[in-house]
Amino acid sequence: MDAWFQEIAAAAREGRPSAVLMVSGAPVEILRALDIVPIYPEVNALQLAIRKKSLPMILRAEQEGYASDSCAYVKADVGMLLSNAAVRPTFVICNYVGCNVYVKWFEHVAAMTGAPLLMIDVPFARTRELLPEDVRYVVRQLEELIAAIERASGRRLDRDRLSEICALSARAEDAWSRCKALCKARPAPFDAYFDSINLMGPANCLRGTKAAAEVLEAAAAAYEAASAEGRGPLPEERFRIVVEGPPPYPAYRSFRDLFARWGAVAVASTYSCVGGLWEFGFRHDPARPLESIAEHMLLENLTNRSLIDRAARIERYLRDFGAEALVIHSVKSCRLFSAGQGDLRERIAREAGFPTLMLESDLEDPRYYAEAQMKNRIDAFFEALEHKKKLAGTRSDANGRTGL
Amino acid sequence: VSALFAAGVDVGSTQTKAVILGPRREIAGRAVVPTGAQIARAAERAFEAALQSAGILRAAVGKVCGTGYGRFKVSFGDFQTTEITCHARGAHLLFPETRTVIDMGGQDTKAIRVGPHGEVLDFSMNDKCAAGTGRFLTAAAEVTGLDLGAIGKIALEGRDPVRMTSVCAVFVESDIMSYLAQGKSVPDVLAGVHRAIAARTASLVRRVGIEPEITFTGGVSRNVAMVKALEAVLGAPLNVSADSHFCGALGAALIALERLEAEAAAAAAAAPGPAIEDWEDGR
Repeated sequence: MDAWFQEIAAAAREGRPSAVLMVSGAPVEILRALDIVPIYPEVNALQLAIRKKSLPMILRAEQEGYASDSCAYVKADVGMLLSNAAVRPTFVICNYVGCNVYVKWFEHVAAMTGAPLLMIDVPFARTRELLPEDVRYVVRQLEELIAAIERASGRRLDRDRLSEICALSARAEDAWSRCKALCKARPAPFDAYFDSINLMGPANCLRGTKAAAEVLEAAAAAYEAASAEGRGPLPEERFRIVVEGPPPYPAYRSFRDLFARWGAVAVASTYSCVGGLWEFGFRHDPARPLESIAEHMLLENLTNRSLIDRAARIERYLRDFGAEALVIHSVKSCRLFSAGQGDLRERIAREAGFPTLMLESDLEDPRYYAEAQMKNRIDAFFEALEHKKKLAGTRSDANGRTGL
Repeated sequence: VSALFAAGVDVGSTQTKAVILGPRREIAGRAVVPTGAQIARAAERAFEAALQSAGILRAAVGKVCGTGYGRFKVSFGDFQTTEITCHARGAHLLFPETRTVIDMGGQDTKAIRVGPHGEVLDFSMNDKCAAGTGRFLTAAAEVTGLDLGAIGKIALEGRDPVRMTSVCAVFVESDIMSYLAQGKSVPDVLAGVHRAIAARTASLVRRVGIEPEITFTGGVSRNVAMVKALEAVLGAPLNVSADSHFCGALGAALIALERLEAEAAAAAAAAPGPAIEDWEDGR
């Protein structure tokens, strides 16, 4: 993360071009090939929150008129810009996939910084398969994006370099997928929610660089060694869970501890795929750079898919990774992705039959996090799982299943 | 002589309840005190009063379980369990056919779905807002100048319940004032208050699924108008016991008693002597 922050700071200092863009489905390979430093306002916002510095920025934006229930990432970013605490980008690239709040957010960023707004319209995934016309539509816009940046910066895109960068992205995606698959083992060698989130830094902010590929390959090697030795992130793995939703970054550590004290380990999570759904096989393709970037934006990311698709993926995680329960952390200020989580909970709990816990706070705004209430729900949930295991044990289930 | 009794202490936001359970799972003593600001002291006082009501000495209690929001302040407790688990277990002990528990307390309303062994299958509760909880009734009692214990009976006299605009425990005051200014009667206003809470609670219960029997627990279960309003909106009768108010403490005491029994069994198994189970199993 330091490397990325320093990259941004150096660009600002030396007057080199930079661009803000959205993490999910980012066409960052194009920017890397043009030597434009990517800035992710989402990541800036969460870094503020985890350092417990988000509230003053949120309040600054609210003072400007942003509503209390508008996206707290937006407010933190706007607050930073208003406080002159954020780097002013050369370009504002709105590559919004699924999250249409981005359209307004980046319009505001462009208005506040005077940087040109380059909009890419990515159709929402209406089908499970890629539609060739959608791919053509996005590739065409990517060509326009390249032309616009070339015109404004006086640089020329080196197509060979773009292919090399796509190959580096694919290396990182390979290594990340290797890591993820290891959590099928008992115990899982790392927590596929919290530890994965830590790895999302290099995976998302440095994607397309050698550094990202190397960090993730080193992580995969370390986790493979841990798995071979039967080591996990906790002294004892007592519960295997799947987690949906981003974490409460303002209380990140204490939130993790609430699960750790129960011996609960996440074996899969949806949020860790926000950069891309690489674990299901997608790779950036050096032979078809723009097409693969378009496919990544259209279908191979977390946010551009339907709720039904998300539910099916969660069910697959629960079964493939031998998990016994689902935990949903719903984000108060993100109506877009929290909408439908009530139905999601019903589907997983009632139809798929996995106990499901729904928690709610915020990913950025510390005012929504109430430790006692959070702890109460989490403790009650694991008490219930434990009670069930005990009952299953006394009933001496013949096939050894816990009944969860 | 080993200790035969177990205790549960439920430190709620408004009241602290304690229950002493005897070896045959019978309630030997109970007590309730206001929680106030001195949480640890309230837990002590409730426990002592419950001991007195049971007519036993402290040494006779082998295990104490703390529950409720103040459960970590039960300084003499041996362990803690959330009130969600405790209400489920307590309701199951009072009414073994319980499959749904509605617990309405000072600041929380919970709906819990339980299995045949009193195990929690699912639960749902209000989030960071006291709308539709006991707090709403307290506010209604305050603004009408009535005793909290009396508003249920008065609400039953309402013939034409008013329609509350919200169940917000903060705005209830202005809502009630405006109805009274319009000339609505106090019973009608209070009947409307109960109906509004019942409607909100019903949606919470539907989230976990309504399965009979339904047992109503927590402090508000003593309010007869609330019982009637909930029964009307759910279309099903509610189990209510004189001990429903103590249900959390009761469940905590039950869990404590089970631990006590398990420890005694483990100690007996470890003691030298013929292991009866071995030859019974033919191993």
